[in-house]
Amino acid sequence: MRQFARRWRLALGALGVAVAFVMSGREIHADETCQSPYLPKITGQEDYLYVWTLGAEGVGDGSDKLATIGANPAKQDQYGKVLSSVSVGGRHEAHHGGFNDDRRYLWLGGLDDSKIFIFDVASNPAKPTLTKTIDTFVKDSGGVVGPHTFYPLPGRMLITGLSNDKDHGGKTGMVEYSNEGKYIQTLWMPDNAPYGYDVRVQPHLNRMLTSSFTGWNNYMMDFGQMVADKEAMKRFGQTMVLWDFHARKPIQTFEVPGAPLEVRWALQPRHDYAFTATALTSKLWLIAQKADGTFEAKDVGNIGDPTKIPLPVDMSLSADDQTLFVNTFMDGMCRVYNVGDPTKPKVIHEQKIGAQVNMVSQTWDGKRVYFTSSLLANWDKKGDANEQFLKVYTWDGKALKPTFTVDFTKENLGRPHIMHFGQEQFYKNQIYTEQKADSAKVASR
Amino acid sequence: MAFLLRHLFVGVLLLLACSSASLAADSASPATLPLGLPPLPSPPADNPPTREKIALGRRLFFDRRLSPNDTMSCAMCHLPTQGFTVNETRLAVGINGQTTRRNSPTLYNVAYQRLLFHDGREFTLEDQVISPLTNPVEMGNPSIGYVVNKIRGLPGYREQFQQAFGEDPNVATLGKALASYERTLLSGNSPFDRWYFGGEKDAVSAQVKAGFKIFRGKGQCFTCHTIDKTGTLFGGQSFRNTGVAQLALIPEKEVAVDLGGGLVIQMPRAQVDEILTPLGKDLGRYEVTHDPTDLWRYKTPSLRNVALTAPYMHNGVLLTLEDVIDYYDRGGTSADGQDPRVSPLHLTPEEKQALLALLRSFTGDNVTVLAKEGDVAKDR
Ligand code: HEC
Ligand code: HEC
Repeated sequence: MRQFARRWRLALGALGVAVAFVMSGREIHADETCQSPYLPKITGQEDYLYVWTLGAEGVGDGSDKLATIGANPAKQDQYGKVLSSVSVGGRHEAHHGGFNDDRRYLWLGGLDDSKIFIFDVASNPAKPTLTKTIDTFVKDSGGVVGPHTFYPLPGRMLITGLSNDKDHGGKTGMVEYSNEGKYIQTLWMPDNAPYGYDVRVQPHLNRMLTSSFTGWNNYMMDFGQMVADKEAMKRFGQTMVLWDFHARKPIQTFEVPGAPLEVRWALQPRHDYAFTATALTSKLWLIAQKADGTFEAKDVGNIGDPTKIPLPVDMSLSADDQTLFVNTFMDGMCRVYNVGDPTKPKVIHEQKIGAQVNMVSQTWDGKRVYFTSSLLANWDKKGDANEQFLKVYTWDGKALKPTFTVDFTKENLGRPHIMHFGQEQFYKNQIYTEQKADSAKVASR
Repeated sequence: MAFLLRHLFVGVLLLLACSSASLAADSASPATLPLGLPPLPSPPADNPPTREKIALGRRLFFDRRLSPNDTMSCAMCHLPTQGFTVNETRLAVGINGQTTRRNSPTLYNVAYQRLLFHDGREFTLEDQVISPLTNPVEMGNPSIGYVVNKIRGLPGYREQFQQAFGEDPNVATLGKALASYERTLLSGNSPFDRWYFGGEKDAVSAQVKAGFKIFRGKGQCFTCHTIDKTGTLFGGQSFRNTGVAQLALIPEKEVAVDLGGGLVIQMPRAQVDEILTPLGKDLGRYEVTHDPTDLWRYKTPSLRNVALTAPYMHNGVLLTLEDVIDYYDRGGTSADGQDPRVSPLHLTPEEKQALLALLRSFTGDNVTVLAKEGDVAKDR
């Protein structure tokens, strides 16, 4: 309990820092672009990449795990190597996760059984340790299933759900926990837009934007079975919701057909808009504020040829809001758009990353771009096309040049999903020596 | 005497069930079955229903902790809000997202089923529960003892089993409790019942009456979906080959995929195969009897509440009642071994509409009450 109080004070401290960044305007909020503005950023070169990895049957111990990869070329003994791998035991459909607001803990979710694993990344950034597991998410929340986005807010974690425990369909909600892991509240999605997926906040507008995917039945189901199942295909989100962030009240609903997934608010001042991509209909959408203060959602172009289902998945917006990287799972491509005019995105580069590709993370200086391959255990390609990798590239404004690759099958790890950045110096700069002792204690129990 | 006993049992069952959410509580005479249902088979002698057993069975039915990772309950594939089957997918999705080989049958009126499953491989509801609990694609428990042991450790269950059976949770009491609950899911007194069995002239439209003529005549439906004077399930429980097993669940050349927003595309089969785990072959009743004449025969299901139990057939290949009627109208697939009674019907559009209206008149009067079954479940 004492240690929680201390953490809370520190969280507030960290919030102060984050707010200072937001206020100053010229600073970019985070090391990886598009993170919560409430998250303190690391500056300079990242040392580590934390990769939340799904266990795959027959690969190593088959268990979901957090893999830590050396990412700093100046540390040649670590660069491109698997520095640590911590199995959580069992397969939970590892998917997304996020740091809490002081960046000491990385919360990682399992979409299948709704377990949440909290890793201490501060005590030894090269070797995170599992300190706590929340296995009461469904019960706490009153029936939300499938913790997806972990979005740090001051002192708390906002978690989107994808499904529910009543019918494993798409009706769902968002759930808030305190940094200490105590349940705070559930916000059910509105009746006219019941599905959920991502959430992102634009604090200076007091607006929160959510997107929508599909329920447990579909995201857990074999992808091939699903596309051939007309009933299942009817059950995808077609909406985005704009919320009053502080009041947590929905204020506008947009029709965005075909499963709008990742939400990316522009990062520059007076850029009062966000992008999303629809997975099924392969379109880029712009959600922009109008002169009267309300927002509108506009289809601003196709991603590849929608009739071929390229399936846009993750995307990453550069810190200057000029360049948008969009991955498409089916063709394994990354398309780079110039979005200087957000209403007219222009493809400036296309590159095949692998037989399949899902996540993309870009550094705030725009020079390094990280890719992983896995979408969902039962949606990944079968047979030879089931490549499982982390691939790292440099970006010079024109092309992506490979720097290193980790083969997650050969390394006996599994299916790599979301990536987060870590750095030694960042934690050295923080003043939580005491807390380090505390978390070490928890970890060694 | 047998008749009397049966009525006594029904009375007990209905009284018990009425005290819970099952069955319309306003049923005029609780000691009679819903109109139109045939005489109810007696439950096994060693498992007469009691209020405690039914309540316990309901709790178990909705409890997702009956699977090793707390995700799958019976209800997840037999949803009260979706006709005690799953409307939202053709085939139910089991533990870790695995696709079941067959469509979940509804559990409305399951008390009448003499042989269980589409291939009739199981005999009593008590024994049947072992299959889903241990099936690796359904609830995935490594053994029946594993889940019994788990239930023993969950707060409150031991006490509730003691109350209901004077015994701890074990394989037998687990089956008895779930079976006792399932037997309460009776549904009848549909508009059709009120007309046909109740003599209420205006309970159904002229169209429904016309539909019934086709059902009994030109359509030959009743030859398999039988009707007795004493009541009916519209399902003879006989094993028949309607030819539907030959309909490819995934078309050979390309798959039409509706991506939303008006975008419908043709996905080449090769692209589907890249992301597909094929299902195991299904040989129907043959898998149980190994009699070649039983190849691709499946149990003739009840058509009660059929409007609520889409998608249809053992493989969920027909999505709507319109699709089913069209299927029979064109005479099935004419596959080897197809029952000769499934042959081209040459129905007019009006006749199809009438048949559809008839099938829709089979919806019982308590379905909204039964749909709330899940609401009272505390442990999900
Ligand atoms: C993963 C989905 C799934 C779960 C979970 C599941 N079932 Fe089923 N159920 C099915 C399918 C599919 C069938 C048909 C299988 C076959 O015919 O081979 C079925 C068949 C049945 C039948 C036979 C009905 C008939 O008319 O023949 C009963 C009874 C039944 N289930 C009860 C249960 C009970 C009780 C539980 C929980 C202990 C349960 N089910 C859990 C999918 C499921
Ligand atoms: C030869 C016997 C036979 C005849 C004739 C027949 N049926 Fe069936 N019916 C079956 C069998 C067997 C099934 C289950 C098939 C399966 O599961 O694959 C079935 C399934 C159905 C279903 C789907 C029920 C469900 O829950 O999936 C409907 C609806 C239906 N029949 C309506 C009709 C109508 C209407 C007619 C007359 C036009 C008709 N049937 C004629 C044997 C027959």
